[in-house]
Amino acid sequence: MKRSYLPVAFLLAVLMLNLIFTQYMVHQYFYEHYTNTIIAAVINVILFPVAFLIYKKGVNVHD
Amino acid sequence: MTDKNNKIPFNEDNYTHNINRNNERKLDRRGFMKTLVGAAGVFAVSSLPWGVLAAKELNGLGDKKYPKHKITDEKSLPIGDAVDFAFPGEHDSAILIRLSEKKYVAYQNACTHLRCPVFWKKDEGEMLCPCHHGKFDVNTGEPIAGPPRRPLPEIHVKVENGAVYAVGVKRYEA
Ligand code: FES
Repeated sequence: MKRSYLPVAFLLAVLMLNLIFTQYMVHQYFYEHYTNTIIAAVINVILFPVAFLIYKKGVNVHD
Repeated sequence: MTDKNNKIPFNEDNYTHNINRNNERKLDRRGFMKTLVGAAGVFAVSSLPWGVLAAKELNGLGDKKYPKHKITDEKSLPIGDAVDFAFPGEHDSAILIRLSEKKYVAYQNACTHLRCPVFWKKDEGEMLCPCHHGKFDVNTGEPIAGPPRRPLPEIHVKVENGAVYAVGVKRYEA
């Protein structure tokens, strides 16, 4: 069966976004921009279900 | 006896002969994706405390509340004069300076060098620590001369019905 590496690429992108938003979140916290901190935290949390969906899709189609 | 040793493990008596552990540690595409999803989960969970802390700060829960404390009456403090008081605790000595008709500033007056009491030098318009001649800017509490390197903690004051009250301590900012 032919396997697709597209989901892997997507997951890596999600991880990259996680890194970016985590760093942004911590920095904004120390700059006392608390609204931005919360926004970044929410995005980080939302990225988890997104990653999970990508995994589900990618694992079932071609493996 | 000797030939028995050579036959171990016997095919039938060996409990592990049917366990195949080849490739057990191989990281395939699926396993790799699982790891990535797990990492995303770790990121999500570790973001939560930051969000909670930030929300707390936004709601002002991070600010300590002190009961407001009357320092003096406006009448009894001429412009350019200073009065000592204690805030927020009875051993936290502080100084209130009237700079103009409307402008009051107050600082915790323990010098940020070695905690000597800081005085208001009216004619020079700056706050002076006699111990090692540290000086502070009266408008901001920033150190301007001598050994101190950190600003004096500012106290928020409020004028109400002709009296001056201390209402809080400014958060320390490094
Ligand atoms: S204690 Fe104030 S300058 Fe040293």
